[in-house]
Amino acid sequence: MVFLREGLCPGLTGEFIQALRAKDITTVEDLVFADTEELAQKCSVSYKALLAVRRVLLAQHSAFPVSGADLYEELLSSTAILSTGNASLDKLLDSGLYTGELTELVGAPGSGKTQVCCGVSVNIACELKQSVLYVDSTGGLSAEHLLQMVKAKTNNMEEQVEALKRIQVTRVFDIFSLFECLHNLRSTGIAQVVARGSSLKAVIVDSVSAVLALALGGKQTEGMSLMMQIAGELRTIAKDLNVAVLVTNHVTRDSNGMLKAGLGQSWSHVPRTRILLQRVEQSGSTCCNLRTATVIKSSRQPCHLTEEFDMISWAQSGDEVSGSGSQGKRKLPIDSPS
Amino acid sequence: MTDRLMSSESGAQLLARLEGRRSPRNTEPHLFLEDSSPAQGDVVEFYGAEGTGKTEMLYHLVARCVLPADSGGLEVEVMYVDTDYHFDMLRLVTILERRLPQGSEEEVRSCLRRLYVVHCASSLQLLFTLRYAEDTFCSRPSLGLLVVDSISAFYWPDKSGGGHSVARQESNLRRCVELLEKLLKDYRIVVFASTQAVMRGSFPDGAGPDEPSLSSWKQSSSARTDFGRTYLCKPWRRIVTHRLAFSKTDARRDGKQVFSVASSSTRTNRTKQCSFSITDVGVQFI
Repeated sequence: MVFLREGLCPGLTGEFIQALRAKDITTVEDLVFADTEELAQKCSVSYKALLAVRRVLLAQHSAFPVSGADLYEELLSSTAILSTGNASLDKLLDSGLYTGELTELVGAPGSGKTQVCCGVSVNIACELKQSVLYVDSTGGLSAEHLLQMVKAKTNNMEEQVEALKRIQVTRVFDIFSLFECLHNLRSTGIAQVVARGSSLKAVIVDSVSAVLALALGGKQTEGMSLMMQIAGELRTIAKDLNVAVLVTNHVTRDSNGMLKAGLGQSWSHVPRTRILLQRVEQSGSTCCNLRTATVIKSSRQPCHLTEEFDMISWAQSGDEVSGSGSQGKRKLPIDSPS
Repeated sequence: MTDRLMSSESGAQLLARLEGRRSPRNTEPHLFLEDSSPAQGDVVEFYGAEGTGKTEMLYHLVARCVLPADSGGLEVEVMYVDTDYHFDMLRLVTILERRLPQGSEEEVRSCLRRLYVVHCASSLQLLFTLRYAEDTFCSRPSLGLLVVDSISAFYWPDKSGGGHSVARQESNLRRCVELLEKLLKDYRIVVFASTQAVMRGSFPDGAGPDEPSLSSWKQSSSARTDFGRTYLCKPWRRIVTHRLAFSKTDARRDGKQVFSVASSSTRTNRTKQCSFSITDVGVQFI
């Protein structure tokens, strides 16, 4: 609902609004969907002026159709593919995280979701020299751990400091602070987040289920609505600011005992790409660093493509990573399914 | 309707409004029953859970519409309203490239010029956009298809925003449907809209889309394609003329997931089943 007020558009004066209000026209939609001719008569305002105001308001509040050719052109020049710093994950994601899209990591506790998020932010900060906003909602991120990972990439003290500066961390513990955080990002702009000489390329929310699950249950409709608004906010940020959004989610089992992403059916439609992380069960050892990652949803890669990788080696062997945020390069899909 | 009659349109005006309006005829023979392929003024609902190929099928149909006639296309212009922010241009371009004889950038671009993309972030914006789109439809006679992916995107926010009154919860969608009806009637366009399965209850068997065996899928398919099952408002259910219910099957073909569609129409009481898999070229029917 958008209320009519002065300054909303040229020609919408105080008098004009008063006249409309007297006839119960208080919002933009009331005005747009009313019969202009009849309304002009009832409120005794100029038909021409009313028509002009209506036209401007309609144009202001509707989304504008963009020609596919222009959109494609824009996409080619603005899309970046951010390498995760892990060859296996990059392969699953078709060379990395795409800006403008929402990617989800799902996995049981201890499957390495936070580790992957750290790895991705460190790689973007160190290798690609771009900024990352890390929204931590579980308290699982440790600065020391980040530093350790940065140290594995570079020995230069100054570079380490620079890299850490590019990772902006915000802690949120409920859905409303998450709203505030995302809203700030969108309105006050990236300026605050961005360190000198880099631009914001990724927003990571670890974990999105920790805050959203709290809102669900109880008054269901309200919780669902909040969840879908967060989803909308994340998607608009991805599109409008042209950043890659990475979120983590827990897993549950369905009635057949199959693993599936948490947060229910409505949320399941939200991410563009979903990767399932799983521990590799090995007999004899209690602590194992091998993980498998499986594509569950993707518009680029065949589903159920699986890769195995080692968590420990990722944190250490930073030098073999070929991290290039290939600007504007369009990836052709890989021909073989798996 | 009475409006139209009273404002007495001259024959020339009628011709100007409807002549040259391209329509996506025979969009996909595999998908619909022969005698009930969607024609002008029809609404097709694409229904299914996440990852069952709805959007992919939309790309397939959009590609068919925008491709030039000599590549097997229909040369119809398409307006794609993206409410989920899901639209993947790169994917569509890949599909187009594989279907064009040379697949050159220039050819792709000329196809994409027949496509208009709109992003909507709220049901109110969708409402304004549809109102605004009327002018676009009026001025572009070759614009024959409107795609809304998805029409159910604002279901929860609207439900919560409307408080306890069901009428207010549904008011925006109802008005959107009214506008759609007007567009359908005045400009004889075709509407494709997807609705997402957001509640487990929408699958009567309770097992959701991951139904283990094909035989039990067939048993429950009649219930699934039941028109009354949609959770969206009544006016929407009324304007839908064709319904496609998407689901995943367990079968594999050449290592690729096989998807299944049950197609039904208000005109006949038969349903049609078909399966497809998704490849680089897009949807391929089996």
